[in-house]
Amino acid sequence: MANFVLNGQAVSIDADPNMPLLWAVREKMGLTGTKFGCGIAQCGACTMHLDGDPIRSCSTPLSMAEGREVTTIEGVSGEAGNGDGLASAIQAAWISEQVPQCGYCQSGQIMSATALLRDNPAPSDDDIDAAMRGNICRCGTYTRIRRAIKVASGQATPREEEA
Amino acid sequence: MNDLSPDKKERSKLAKWSRRGFIGAGVLAGGGLLIGIGVRPGNPVSALSPKVAGAGENLVNSWVKIGADNIVTAIVPHCEMGQGAHSVLAQMLADELDADWDKVRVQQAPTDGSYVVTDTARMFVAPFTMNAADWIEPTWNGLFTQIARMADAMITGGSSSIRTTGQHSMRIAGAAARGMLVGAAAQSWDVPADEITTENSTLIHKASGKSAPYAEFASAAAHQPMDQTPRLKTPDQYRLMGKSKARTDIPAKINGTAEFGIDSVPEGLDLSYAALVRPPVPGTKVVSMNAEQAKTMSGVLQILNMDNFVAVLADSYWQAQQAINTVQIEWSRSESPILTMDDQYAAFAAALDEAGEAGGDEAAKKGDAQGAFASAAKTIEAEYRVPFLAHAPMEPINCTAHVKDGKCDIWASTQVPLMARSGVAETLGLSADDVMVHHPYLGGGFGRRLGADEMSMAARVAAATGYPVKMIWSREEDTQKALYRCADLARMRAGLDESGKLVAFDHAFTQRHDPAEACVPAMYDIANTSVRVAPAELHLPFQAWRSVDHSQQGFFIESFIDEAAHEAGADPLEYRMEMLKGSAHHVAVLKKLAEISDWNGETAAGHAKGVAMVESFGTIVGEVIEVDMTSGKPRLVNAWAVCDAGYVMNPDGFKNQIEGGIVFGLTAAMYGELELEDGAIKQSNFHDYKMLRMDETPNIEVALINSGDVPVGGAGEPGLPPAAPAFTNAIFAATGKRLRTLPVAKQFA
Amino acid sequence: MHRKAIFAGGLLTISVTACGSAEQPEVVEQIVVREPGSPQVVASEASATVAGAVDLVAAGEDAFQSCTGCHSVNPDGRSASGPNLYGVMGREAGSLDGYSYSDAFAASEIVWDEASLDGFLADPTGYIPGSEMMAGAVPDGEARKAIIAYLSAQTDNAPGQ
Repeated sequence: MANFVLNGQAVSIDADPNMPLLWAVREKMGLTGTKFGCGIAQCGACTMHLDGDPIRSCSTPLSMAEGREVTTIEGVSGEAGNGDGLASAIQAAWISEQVPQCGYCQSGQIMSATALLRDNPAPSDDDIDAAMRGNICRCGTYTRIRRAIKVASGQATPREEEA
Repeated sequence: MNDLSPDKKERSKLAKWSRRGFIGAGVLAGGGLLIGIGVRPGNPVSALSPKVAGAGENLVNSWVKIGADNIVTAIVPHCEMGQGAHSVLAQMLADELDADWDKVRVQQAPTDGSYVVTDTARMFVAPFTMNAADWIEPTWNGLFTQIARMADAMITGGSSSIRTTGQHSMRIAGAAARGMLVGAAAQSWDVPADEITTENSTLIHKASGKSAPYAEFASAAAHQPMDQTPRLKTPDQYRLMGKSKARTDIPAKINGTAEFGIDSVPEGLDLSYAALVRPPVPGTKVVSMNAEQAKTMSGVLQILNMDNFVAVLADSYWQAQQAINTVQIEWSRSESPILTMDDQYAAFAAALDEAGEAGGDEAAKKGDAQGAFASAAKTIEAEYRVPFLAHAPMEPINCTAHVKDGKCDIWASTQVPLMARSGVAETLGLSADDVMVHHPYLGGGFGRRLGADEMSMAARVAAATGYPVKMIWSREEDTQKALYRCADLARMRAGLDESGKLVAFDHAFTQRHDPAEACVPAMYDIANTSVRVAPAELHLPFQAWRSVDHSQQGFFIESFIDEAAHEAGADPLEYRMEMLKGSAHHVAVLKKLAEISDWNGETAAGHAKGVAMVESFGTIVGEVIEVDMTSGKPRLVNAWAVCDAGYVMNPDGFKNQIEGGIVFGLTAAMYGELELEDGAIKQSNFHDYKMLRMDETPNIEVALINSGDVPVGGAGEPGLPPAAPAFTNAIFAATGKRLRTLPVAKQFA
Repeated sequence: MHRKAIFAGGLLTISVTACGSAEQPEVVEQIVVREPGSPQVVASEASATVAGAVDLVAAGEDAFQSCTGCHSVNPDGRSASGPNLYGVMGREAGSLDGYSYSDAFAASEIVWDEASLDGFLADPTGYIPGSEMMAGAVPDGEARKAIIAYLSAQTDNAPGQ
């Protein structure tokens, strides 16, 4: 039995303590926003926050969450979430810059970006490189992700949709 | 086997086919309007027909419905894999319909023969009919609807959704619907139809001050006569088309709510999960398995030897994967003599050796290349090689299947839902009507999801166990046991005259899939050209990989043209410009490219630029890549692209696709390689099948040229082919080192 | 000049796939362990092994690939989601500039050597309670040895450099 706080709510998950947090959250809690991409912490699609820090949940056993706070993309998002203003700014920038293509990697990208901006409200290109290089985007939206992070951190002006 | 034609029995039916297609309409339960392309009665009816009112009409295809709440829903027969088809097709329909864009929604068309993408099939089979005269248009449409049905052609690929279904079906459906709404209002208001205007889902009769939302007349509209070939807007009338409207599927993709195949949890079903192992060497099978340890592991339900794969079923995917990792499998011996890539390349070389300087199957011939070489002032020749490549979409292959009471439900993110349906039906011995394929968003397609075998595998496990099963491919399985972009070897010769002009070009290689024209440098004015194929067998199974043959042919041709340019002592961009001067479109692209990349300007020390141009899937793309070699290893600095697709329906969306194609192409160029050990693929995951990351991606700038009024080119693939050659051409410019093989990074290790 | 728009890519290949669906064998062997919902058996661990490698540093570089999602060994010293490990051997735990360590790490007086790294990699949060290195435990002793050998070579002072 693993007892921890998931997106602000106390939960109890009955599963093998070695089961990666990724699968416990997707399959036992039904929160499928966090994605499986590689299983060996190489792609970042599984990024969640553990006590606010980004982790690769595919390589984090369920037992590690015991007594701690886990946040997923559902948790940082909008109305349903915990009203994380920073994540909202990031998501608004993701929309204004039309970042996603297939969208599969974007939960992980946003979780990494949220953690970055929390620690570093005005990241440089090198800061962005270092924080985001663990997140692969096979569709190649990297240049848009970079721009969106700058927009969210007030370092660039958002694109306006063509009326 | 490349034969698209139906079997003999069906073909004879087709020969007698002369029925006309027409646009039909019906009323939805609840009073909405359903518009589609109909086929005369007596033809195969679809599951949609019962919903259609209107005597003697069968609905074959429907792309728009208008609800009582004034919401317009575009029903899109293509999948959404990040290329933006859902949103842009809706944008085109909504514009012709004069719908309020804020009240437009998109719905994935169900997997039903009604949704064959007639125009996509038609463009393939008979492109000359695409711009048929109005009077014959409905006949062509009906005919190709039948062909598309027989080919299970509900597919998304070939960078075609916008320029086929969008241009020829969605717009027609939107314009026809608008006409019928106007007709209904005109009748009700007793005013001439041509006095009624439409905007933002509202009908307006200015003279009398009357107005009404579309919803008010949706039911009545269904009974209006329909224009078979409604007049479509011209670009000066566009309100949505040609604009960078925000994509409708993006909001769900940034908050974790978008559902991909791997996320599908069928309502009311308790899923079991499966992991699998396929043979390491293609064509081999399971001889025996020892599952003693797996039997004792937590969560395990069943272990199955399915002959061509082994599966473990468990309470969770992770438990299934942990367990299957312990199953010892003895595989049959492979007959193939190809154990390493050296063996594969040797096989290619042997085929080319046998073809010699002039043999092999002729792919293209112009003038007399062999003769021209004899009189050329200078001849250069080179051999190029490229490796096998994996698609590696971010969402690994997966399929959820449930077989019960003679029916099967499948959930899969697939580019070919009808093929999946047929494949599963045949596998299980069911009728296609008893198989339902649900297909949510794809976490990347790139051609990886053009097959149906994986769905059949999952269906077999579901049938054998009786449980609803979600089968997930591990990244290792998806990388090593898939289908691939072919490796190949090419031998090229160029003959130059005294002035350095290319007068003879000979190109021979072993792999030709499609598009047929990818291997022909047709846009260049070269007097004597010969392109020859000396077919050789591939050790790994082939599947179309983003831009297909253009991916390797672009590299071969644009690198070798660059070699010719340098041999002639010419600027590579000018050299190409000279050979393209017969084509204004290509010249315009190159000119703009030179401008935005500051081709003739100064570059920093240790930096250099390379250029390449490829026309693919109807779009001309020129690219310049700037590389920095100061550290001794290539660092990508800038990429510029100029594209001419005729007319771009959503400029920002188009650019996003080109940017993505460039990154995909540069990733393959920099790192892409699958090696063979004992006939099995060595690379398995992203630690050794490496991807370009944020910190290695160059700045990318894309400019678009609309040289016409209609979209003739696609967006999904054309950005890719010029990337690798532009990159290696830049490396040559910086270092004098000509790379004739890929990937790049290992050559600078 | 009329430019022909050509479709390709999907259809030919699809027809090949569909035509190739040949015989689908029955299940050859089906081991039923239990029905869903019935009691599980006791879990047993599968262990990962490092393929035999003559050169330990090369094996370590291979094994380290799984760490590169968070750690780099780039001499430039820049850290990412995990601290840069260039020169980590002989370094005091939690001392690298430019990385924000957990309190536990910052307070630790461990100076990394073979023994301490071996203990840490076997059980990171057990060895330094409060460590944020949740992922990345290396259960296999041989793999740890290889990684440690590789990390020892990632320094200005490595023998032979």
